Amino acid sequence: MIDVDRLTKRYGRFIALDSISFRADSGEIVGFLGPNGAGKTTTMRVLTGYMPPTEGTARIAGFDVLTDSLAVRERVGYLPETVRLYREMTVRGYLKFMGQLRGVDRLGARLDEVLDLVGLRERARRLVSSLSKGMQQRLGLAQAILHDPPVLILDEPTIGLDPHQVQELRALIRELGRTRTVLLSTHILTEAEQICDRVIIIDRGRIVAEDTPANLREGLARSSRLYVRVGVARDDVAGLLASVPGVTGVGPAADGFLLTSAPQAGDVRPAVASAIVGQGWPLLELRPWATTLEEIFLELTARLDAPVSDDGEARHA
Amino acid sequence: MHSVRVVARRELAQYFTSPIAYLVAFAVLVLTGWQFNVDLAQRVGSQPPDGAAVLGSFAFFTLFFAPLLTMRLLAEEAREGTLELLLTAPVRDGDIVLGKFLGAWLYYTLILGLTLVYQAIWLAITTARAYALTPELDLGPVITAYLGIWLFGGATLALGLLFSALTENQVIAGFLTMSVLFILWLGDYAGSVVQSRALAQAIRELSLQAHYATSFLVGVIRFEDAVFFIGVITAALFVATRVLESRRWR
Repeated sequence: MIDVDRLTKRYGRFIALDSISFRADSGEIVGFLGPNGAGKTTTMRVLTGYMPPTEGTARIAGFDVLTDSLAVRERVGYLPETVRLYREMTVRGYLKFMGQLRGVDRLGARLDEVLDLVGLRERARRLVSSLSKGMQQRLGLAQAILHDPPVLILDEPTIGLDPHQVQELRALIRELGRTRTVLLSTHILTEAEQICDRVIIIDRGRIVAEDTPANLREGLARSSRLYVRVGVARDDVAGLLASVPGVTGVGPAADGFLLTSAPQAGDVRPAVASAIVGQGWPLLELRPWATTLEEIFLELTARLDAPVSDDGEARHA
Repeated sequence: MHSVRVVARRELAQYFTSPIAYLVAFAVLVLTGWQFNVDLAQRVGSQPPDGAAVLGSFAFFTLFFAPLLTMRLLAEEAREGTLELLLTAPVRDGDIVLGKFLGAWLYYTLILGLTLVYQAIWLAITTARAYALTPELDLGPVITAYLGIWLFGGATLALGLLFSALTENQVIAGFLTMSVLFILWLGDYAGSVVQSRALAQAIRELSLQAHYATSFLVGVIRFEDAVFFIGVITAALFVATRVLESRRWR
């Protein structure tokens, strides 16, 4: 349904998207993950026909976003990052306007249906400006699904919602994703884990990883990381752990150490355990370090140039 | 064409939800009413009634209020960010521009329609009371004047829409529109400041007033004047569409 091939977008000399390619099929929910400014919104804006790509092609349902823009726009429902709606219109009036623009059949019945779906039925006659941010977000979503599009592009759909609504919306997206293609961006990793069939991690305009959330986790877990807690506070503990064959790195973690080992070294736990016990130190804890998507994300999008960068955000990452 | 109608209808409805539109209608009625009253007092019993007199000042007022009607059309959408959803709807950019223009022009037509009350008063006075010195209202010039002011208004609104497309700042859009309209209005007086007769004539041909005050307003329909206004509208809408399209490439 979504077919992106070597898509590049430059703003002047700044490269927002650097030759990215990916596919998303029908019935698939694909999560776009990345730090701010990674190119998520730019990709979505290209896919929705809001802005043209500099190079490369993007097709939706076989239609090119550049040459068949109108056909693409008919088939896409779009929830922008900051949902901006006509504040002086009523909820229903706004939806009616969007429905008319899109030429939705049996609009009246469809409006009721969608308003029910997003839980804004009883606010239908209120002005958009009187809605809370979460409700405006839901109205934005209502607008996106109004014409029953085969492709949904949602830019950070759960932002500004309370935890209750977040759960509801995630369930709704999963439901919608059963028969449609959903591309959603987020930087909430648990969200990606919960609802996405596949995750694309993007950083500085490039795709750095693409897999199912489970595979991504496993992939990193394979380079097995171990959490070790030793009952003595001595400076030479780290040195000893580093000297165990197969261990490639030792770092501090919580009250203990985090060991990384080369995948080909196999299970290093017996060696680590005997090394510690051999010194006569109490071994309090030795367990595999569960990798979260968060860590994968941080690892993949690590700013190698962070210390020299003058961007405050990069240093935090 | 369907989407043009949808956009136009929303814009027209929008005028009725904003105070500016009511204030404009109010101001226009007060000003033309006052002007009509003065004109009426002077004429009754001494001069034949002139239904188009009130439209002479309406054209001048248009220079002030047309920018107020058009300044928000695209600038507000760009500033508020609502343009993103409009531009990702399956609607051609040209349809958006045309729809917005027609919405504004329709509202202008309604305000213009309010001034028909003065024609009704003229008709009532001249037919019911039948002053010996006051012949009946000559409807010919009235009709051409209305046609002219309608086209005149369309041209000013199209220019206003163009400036609204050029900036995200409503005040700048309104100010630029008003400035340009004034220059186009004053172009009529080029003869008094430009020495070259040919140049003065050329400038005058481009002025808004020259195509209205000396033709439509006095009962003459000149083909070239209609072409001028329609040409201004077409050109302004065309450029506005290009400007809107160029937003995508920025």
